[in-house]
Amino acid sequence: MLVSDLRKEFYDVIKGKRILVLVHSDIDGICASKILQSLFRADHILYTVVPVKTRSDLVSAFEQHREQARYFLLLNCGGCLDLVDVLSPPEDVKIFVADNHRPLDVCNIYNGDQVRILSQLGEDEEVPAFEDVFREEESEDEDEDSDEEDGKRRRFDEETLERRRARRQWHQQRHKIIFDYTQFSYYGSSTAMLMFDLAWKLSKDNNELLWWAIVGVTEGQVFERTEQDRCVLATGTLQGHVSRLNHQTQDSQPLDCLRITFEKELKLALYRHWSLVESMRHSLYASTTLKLWTLRGEKRLQELLAEMGLPLVQCRQLYSGMDVNLRQDLRSLLEEKSEKYGLPDLLFPSFSASRGFRIKVGSADYVYSAAALLEPPQKDITPTAAALDVADCLAVGREEVLERGIEGSKQQLSAIYRQVQTFLDMNQVISAGPFLYATVIQGTPDAWFFSAPHCLTLLARFTLRAHVSVSRGRKSGALPLVLTSPDVRAAQPDTCLVCGIPPTSEDSRRNFFGKAFEQAAEKTASRAELEFFDTNIIRLSVDDRSKFFDALISLLS
Amino acid sequence: MLSEKALELIKELDRSKDGKLPAFNEDIIRKVLEEMNTLFQQNQRDVGEAAAGEIRYFPSIHLRHAALDRNKRCLLAYLYNRLERIRAMRWEFGSILPADIRANLCEPETQWFNRYNKNLASYMRSLGEAGGLDLTQDTKPPKNLYVEVRCLRDYGEWEVEEGDTVVLQKDTTHYLPLAACHHLIRQGVLEQVE
Repeated sequence: MLVSDLRKEFYDVIKGKRILVLVHSDIDGICASKILQSLFRADHILYTVVPVKTRSDLVSAFEQHREQARYFLLLNCGGCLDLVDVLSPPEDVKIFVADNHRPLDVCNIYNGDQVRILSQLGEDEEVPAFEDVFREEESEDEDEDSDEEDGKRRRFDEETLERRRARRQWHQQRHKIIFDYTQFSYYGSSTAMLMFDLAWKLSKDNNELLWWAIVGVTEGQVFERTEQDRCVLATGTLQGHVSRLNHQTQDSQPLDCLRITFEKELKLALYRHWSLVESMRHSLYASTTLKLWTLRGEKRLQELLAEMGLPLVQCRQLYSGMDVNLRQDLRSLLEEKSEKYGLPDLLFPSFSASRGFRIKVGSADYVYSAAALLEPPQKDITPTAAALDVADCLAVGREEVLERGIEGSKQQLSAIYRQVQTFLDMNQVISAGPFLYATVIQGTPDAWFFSAPHCLTLLARFTLRAHVSVSRGRKSGALPLVLTSPDVRAAQPDTCLVCGIPPTSEDSRRNFFGKAFEQAAEKTASRAELEFFDTNIIRLSVDDRSKFFDALISLLS
Repeated sequence: MLSEKALELIKELDRSKDGKLPAFNEDIIRKVLEEMNTLFQQNQRDVGEAAAGEIRYFPSIHLRHAALDRNKRCLLAYLYNRLERIRAMRWEFGSILPADIRANLCEPETQWFNRYNKNLASYMRSLGEAGGLDLTQDTKPPKNLYVEVRCLRDYGEWEVEEGDTVVLQKDTTHYLPLAACHHLIRQGVLEQVE
């Protein structure tokens, strides 16, 4: 059941009750849960928040807590599963779902009362009509009964045959419709944004909540999950909220409150906390466009910096140590030169937060930091503890956690950069026909980083962009990439993570690998775990890798 | 120098921050008392002389007397402040002190602490209608009836007063009535989130 009025049909329902919130460990989900938590606190709604990472986590968390509460809320997880089937909840339990993963399972959408979907469907999302997917179960039973009778009596009159044929046709049709619907996995609008809208309607919005919504939306932007146009729309809406909540003059507010500004931001990773050269080298857009891992690219970079009139000494030291005048002009200087060097999208509209006299932090910086905290390089931090770290990092006044995340993110990005360079130098990106293919070799020192979904996806995107930018043939731009990496984080040995991303030439960020992986695994009976909520990543047994890829090639070609 | 030891005593107490109690420094106290004894005897002798009309003894008598007074004040201050701290700890830690603090008490202090305990307990029992009132809980009015807590280790099912059960599992966040989860916070099962 789709819920349209969140306030009446969700918030008023759970008021005064206990609610259990299961949050997927991604930044958007955690932001959404933080917004909700502050709403719940204001209304004395008792809650329990449990972070989940995989499908089995979701099921076991539900099993453990099912006695506690009658109301469950799933944030960014579960929308794509048939919840009633997977969780088999008791009759009186209501499950609310706010998920940014698409497509949503049709069973959830057409569930009568138990499963209620809070996410709003976009205009471009077409859900199959009810009558195309579901049919009266009873009539089928009757049919079966009569089939048996038919079998006994051996009577094949025209009417029964006709009915059977119609049913077969309908099933074929249904299969096709469902396949078309679930073929691509993609992301809808941000859940944090949805929850902020709820807060706004309850007149409980403030800068802090707004900032979480911004970080949630920025995640979709930075990791290129949400469609471009949807990002632009969301940014527009957020800008309205920002100017509404920050219209007071600076004098009337206390100094150490959170202040959000809307401005054009450089598409460089963490440049405020790094040196300019390092940041350019490690950010996907600038690095792949200028091909910074080659000698020529290095020269181009020096040329660019020289043309901007930035001394190399200044660019190589931390941004915060750069000359103030240079820092002020940096953005306009880069904007002037961006066209010439083929970096037209170097600036994008974004938000930044500042508190007191501390350094300004952009929303993208928060996302990088949180993503690094989510997949920590330390081996003793459990995924659930990491999710709590992220929640801490987003809280106002916990700058030390944020800084830890930023340092972690630098390590992560450096590892990605090194790995991409290895891929290209050793020509390890191989064309398998319908897709490109690369493998992080077992025993790579940085493998620990790449055995986590976010980082792996980032590596895949970086690799594909870099490969396309250096390869001569036009064709490579139209090919998707499949990347595998040994899963050293997993408990059982000899597994690897497989991640597929769509080709660079396509504007749409829809990803068909989820379905393809599922089918390939099914066909070859590989030992694969389709555990992640981001379906374009699966865990696969190393022994089954070759037959899995053979199946994938034949499936896609 | 006169009264140096006594000052040392005070400084020692001052240097240890609130919530800590240094060991009862019997050694220095004995030294201070010895010093006071000597001073007193010297004064006693000189007073005899002065009474006989020797004016030149007057300043030294005055000096020693002042030193005696100062020593006395310092000793009393030391003892009194220690008691104050012990009393504060009674409110903070409850009727049983942590072992490391108990080891730092001297015998009379322990006795005083036990008597204070008894007094406080009987007073708290006399308050309210049934069973008394625990004054040590909520010494400040709570800002909120509920509190957001994080679970630090697996604890299993736990019953909140209203009859609801909560599964306390590591790394989960809960919003619970403050009064109910007070002792779990003290046990280190839960951690309060600001």
